Amino acid sequence: MKKVNALVLTGFGLNCDTETAFVFERAGAVAHRVHINALVSGKVKLADFQILAFGGGFSWGDDHGAGVIQALKLKNHIGKDLLEFVADKKLIIGICNGFQALVNLGLLPGLDGDYTKRSVSVTYNDCGNFRDQWVHLAANSQSPCVFTQGIKTADFPVRHGEGKFISDPAILERLEKNNQVVFQYADKKGQLAKGEFPLNPNGSVNDIAGICDPTGRVFGLMPHPEAYNHVTNHPDWTREAQKQKRAGRLVDPEQTIGIQLFKNAVDYINHSLF
Amino acid sequence: MISCIEIALKNELRDADASSLIKKADSYFGIHIEHARSVNMVTIESDLTLKQIEQVKDEIFTNPVTQVSSLEPLDIDFDWCIWVGFRPGVKDNPGATAMEAIKDFSGKTFGPQEGIYTSKRYCLKGAALVREDVEKIASELLSNSIIQQFKVFSAEEWDKKTGANVKPARVILDHVPCFEVISIDSDAQLAAISDQRNLALNPKDIPVIREYFLDAKVLASRKEKGLEKPTDVELEYISQARSDHCNHNTFQGIFRYTDASTNETVIEDNLFKTYIKEPTLKLKDKKDWVVSVLWDNAGVGTFDDENNYVVTGETHNSPSNMEAYGGAITGIVGVYRDPLGTGLGSKLFMGSFGFCVGDVNYKGALKPPLHPRRLLDGVIEGVKDGGNKSGVPTTFGQTLFNPGYMGKSLVFVTALGIMPNQVKGKPSHEKKTSPGELIIMSGGRVGKDGIHGVTASSESYSENTPAGHVQIGDPYTQKKMHDFLLICRDEGLIPFITDNGGGGLSSSVGESAMISNGCEVWLDKVPLKYEGLDMWEIWISESQERMTIAVKPENLDRFMELSAEHEVESTVIGKYTDTGKLHIKYKDETCAYVDMDLLDKGFPSWEFDALWLPPDMRGLTEPVISTPLDFNSLLLSMMERPNICSKEWILRQYDHEVQGGSVIKPLVGVKHNIPSDASVTRPVLSSSRGLAFSQSLLPWYSKIDAYHMMTCSIDEAVRRLISVGGDFNHIGGLDNFCWPNIQFDEKKNPDGKFKAAQLVRACRALKETCESYEIPLLSGKDSMYVDGHLEGAYGERMKISALETVQISATSVIKDVLKCVSMEPKISGDLVYVLGSTANELGASEYYEMFHRTGLNVPHVDFEASKKLYQAVQAAIENELVASCHAVARGGLGVHLSYMLMAGQLGLEIDLPALALNERNGSLTDEKILFSESSGRFIITVARENKAAFEALFKGMPCGCSGKVTDQHDHLKISGMNKDLRVDLSVKQVEAAFNKAFGDKI
Repeated sequence: MKKVNALVLTGFGLNCDTETAFVFERAGAVAHRVHINALVSGKVKLADFQILAFGGGFSWGDDHGAGVIQALKLKNHIGKDLLEFVADKKLIIGICNGFQALVNLGLLPGLDGDYTKRSVSVTYNDCGNFRDQWVHLAANSQSPCVFTQGIKTADFPVRHGEGKFISDPAILERLEKNNQVVFQYADKKGQLAKGEFPLNPNGSVNDIAGICDPTGRVFGLMPHPEAYNHVTNHPDWTREAQKQKRAGRLVDPEQTIGIQLFKNAVDYINHSLF
Repeated sequence: MISCIEIALKNELRDADASSLIKKADSYFGIHIEHARSVNMVTIESDLTLKQIEQVKDEIFTNPVTQVSSLEPLDIDFDWCIWVGFRPGVKDNPGATAMEAIKDFSGKTFGPQEGIYTSKRYCLKGAALVREDVEKIASELLSNSIIQQFKVFSAEEWDKKTGANVKPARVILDHVPCFEVISIDSDAQLAAISDQRNLALNPKDIPVIREYFLDAKVLASRKEKGLEKPTDVELEYISQARSDHCNHNTFQGIFRYTDASTNETVIEDNLFKTYIKEPTLKLKDKKDWVVSVLWDNAGVGTFDDENNYVVTGETHNSPSNMEAYGGAITGIVGVYRDPLGTGLGSKLFMGSFGFCVGDVNYKGALKPPLHPRRLLDGVIEGVKDGGNKSGVPTTFGQTLFNPGYMGKSLVFVTALGIMPNQVKGKPSHEKKTSPGELIIMSGGRVGKDGIHGVTASSESYSENTPAGHVQIGDPYTQKKMHDFLLICRDEGLIPFITDNGGGGLSSSVGESAMISNGCEVWLDKVPLKYEGLDMWEIWISESQERMTIAVKPENLDRFMELSAEHEVESTVIGKYTDTGKLHIKYKDETCAYVDMDLLDKGFPSWEFDALWLPPDMRGLTEPVISTPLDFNSLLLSMMERPNICSKEWILRQYDHEVQGGSVIKPLVGVKHNIPSDASVTRPVLSSSRGLAFSQSLLPWYSKIDAYHMMTCSIDEAVRRLISVGGDFNHIGGLDNFCWPNIQFDEKKNPDGKFKAAQLVRACRALKETCESYEIPLLSGKDSMYVDGHLEGAYGERMKISALETVQISATSVIKDVLKCVSMEPKISGDLVYVLGSTANELGASEYYEMFHRTGLNVPHVDFEASKKLYQAVQAAIENELVASCHAVARGGLGVHLSYMLMAGQLGLEIDLPALALNERNGSLTDEKILFSESSGRFIITVARENKAAFEALFKGMPCGCSGKVTDQHDHLKISGMNKDLRVDLSVKQVEAAFNKAFGDKI
């Protein structure tokens, strides 16, 4: 059987590549950590992969806006390859710094088939600081997003200083109408946070934590699904495990929503491209 | 051409930076700013055309969705405008990335006369604002004169065309590099030169240095290279190598220790050897998990069959004290190079911090270089940027307040790495340099920054301390280098690697050349930030983000190819030889030529007089305080205290789970807001093993006896590890000493002898505890001059010394992280046990401190009883009998039951009569039981069905079933010895107190 090849970008201050590659492997893909310059020089060809991950980190120190220079560099050198990748119905995920890069590239929101236009932004948190915290997310069941099929709610950590999603009302309306809003910050029960801090940790409009393009194949989010690769990552796991144990149930350490999200992507490629 | 781009957020968007300024100006100074906006400025000095600049402005610096920008000053209304920029030569990280971006975007390379400089201006509105307020904000909130400059403009003074009129902050030295020959005709002459040049040579070293350079054989050999008298490069090299920072002269010194109660004197020759090295080497033989200790940049222990972990810790006190942000970021980024430079190089997987500062609400007359509040803000931010941007989780940390730290604050930074135990079939913890290998410097460039850092940190802070050693770390450059070097390691390209920290090339090349027994260095090849540095400056500069690597000539091409792909600068700056000589050249001219073994030439040990006055001889007694009547208010007051209350806002700013291996986080409990006993991380994601890490700081006990400060600190660190599921048979230790000056001087340091005795006692305790608990010291450091001379109200200067402080860090390996335990009670109906006995040990406790009393009864560690107990707790956790476990620490049972109440959000009913008490210091009243800080104790919750099995493990040990967990209410209810309800507080009340001091901070 053909194996799904996932490319995880590295270099220039990116830093979640190891765990992102790990979850892809656990999800059944073959993960390749590839330095951005290896794509730029042509040593590695984007066309050889079916999934591309823009991971978390501080590319170029985030010095001139998170993900800005990364987007510029990729656009300059492999912009065409990226557009072909999208046109070939392959999958792209951008997490945290990667999400910021995707919106700066214009790969998101990709309205009207235009994957080069910067029309939304992810900017400084309202709370004024970098913040590491687990959030509850409600998934939009109507969304075409490939990655979240079958997922209703999810808990992942956010770890960012620039995670506030903003866009003008007209664009926002279109995103909602197209069901491009994939994840929204919510409370424990899945009710939307309605901007309440810290449920909504950054002040994102309409509690938006992640969006996709109209096809659902390009997905960006601020929370880190790859950081939930083992049950012990969840902040409540010790309590949950104690309850399970008393109920006589065993815990499967790698049964997490985080891995599920990547598995959805690998399954999609297996079904649709191979 | 010089252009200045101004960039601001669109008007309708919230400006978080400006909002934070408004808040701070109000809460720190009571200055009311009605409205503020910030403007980022990028000043470009280059040959780019106007059109290119416009393009760069739009493509790189402006986000069309959120920002506006202009090449003219943006027209933003203000009453006052503050501009803040770096001084020339200060590391401007955004400036550097901007050049990288422009280079990639347009192919433009910046020459030596060109550059990009970032700065910022703030537009303030406020009817009541006057110039004095604005200057206060500029100088005390927005800038530090050591690294920054500011300008204040009123609306009238502002020229809409020229704006802030920013000039490029380019360094212009206009100096032809040279080296100097130094006359050493007499000891006095060399001593004078040492003073003039800030060499900080010890007077006793001076004759040894002269003797070497006047030796006929040495003279003859030097003559062949065109040298005679020593050069400044050589003397600087010796000064660096002999500094207390590099050579640990204090710990290797001779102490004449007299105990005043017996008048007996003993000679302690080399504390390091006696109390650290020898016990650790003995334990290394006994513990097969200890891989490498005492010689490399960090210690190495076994993680699993394939990987080793690496641990070390540092302090960065002196620089942080003057420029908190710069000092702290340089500290954490710096300590992260140590694991990278250990063995053949390890990957960083976690870090931690410890901050010790003065009272953040200090309103007295003394003027520290930075107010403790500002200092804390700065160090928090420094570790945030340094840690987060390195992609390394900060999984643990403590913040502590004490007036003694106003003289010099402490910034502890700790780093852990992981590496495969074999690289290309060879053990990864071994490394060496060999003749013929090239010396390569990778990473950052060399500038004037950091010159004389090690000698400055080997002194107390005074008004004359040179500021040049303050730097700003660059985690971005270092992260690129880290990723690159690990690939080189895996390809087998690195036979030796070490970092450039204190002493710069002088230390890294000097020490690594000892292995091959010689080197030749070509200083003119070293890439510089700007021209005009003298040879000695290049040689000892502490410019950051640099590693020194040995590479075999046949591997050079591959090494350089990888270096280029990762956009890391690497340069061959010399070669290792076996000539026995340290040979430094600059464009073929020799500027240093000394024997590699020069430093073994019988430099004399430092000597100290130590006089121990036991606490009772110092007049310490137990305070006389009767049992309070209102225990509820008392406990709430304890919970409000700065050293007890919530510091969540600090930990939240730190990414504590990047790399995906977080198991036990720094904040735990239902609301994720209670500090955990320890952190647990999976450094190898495919493995179920975890690395547990904890730290403890108990400097208060030094007020009574530093011996017990040390035993209790180690005991607490160990107990914290055991609490989360750590393995008592695998505990690695790390000691970071921070001590006030111990050299007696009748006028300048009259209590030096006592402080020296405290050091000896702490070292004795270190050995005794480590031997008893079988803890090898994997690594350790010392910082010996934690004093400050602060200006007071009348122009006088007062010496403020810190408490004798040691931060103990401890590591353990957990086989199956699924067995880890967190501290919060989890299920209603569970039983609460207090393990370990409580004695009347409140001397230097938080409780006495609340009443400004010290006392005499400092906690004593009963090693044998504790060992037995800890092994039983470990067994209980391994057998899954424990639902929650927490180590009782600062503040005692009252405080720690409150933590558990908040963590679990479930009621707790506790009966004090059921506790195991020890009456060796007299009987115990309720408040003493609740606030005693006796060591060796845990609070554990257990399911009722496990009661018998649990208790069976603790037969014959102090183990009191003292209460239960309930969901019938959410109160902490404590019944006293007379069965009366002493404490009855709801979780809400306790939380309000816990969050009172800092709860509104984010």
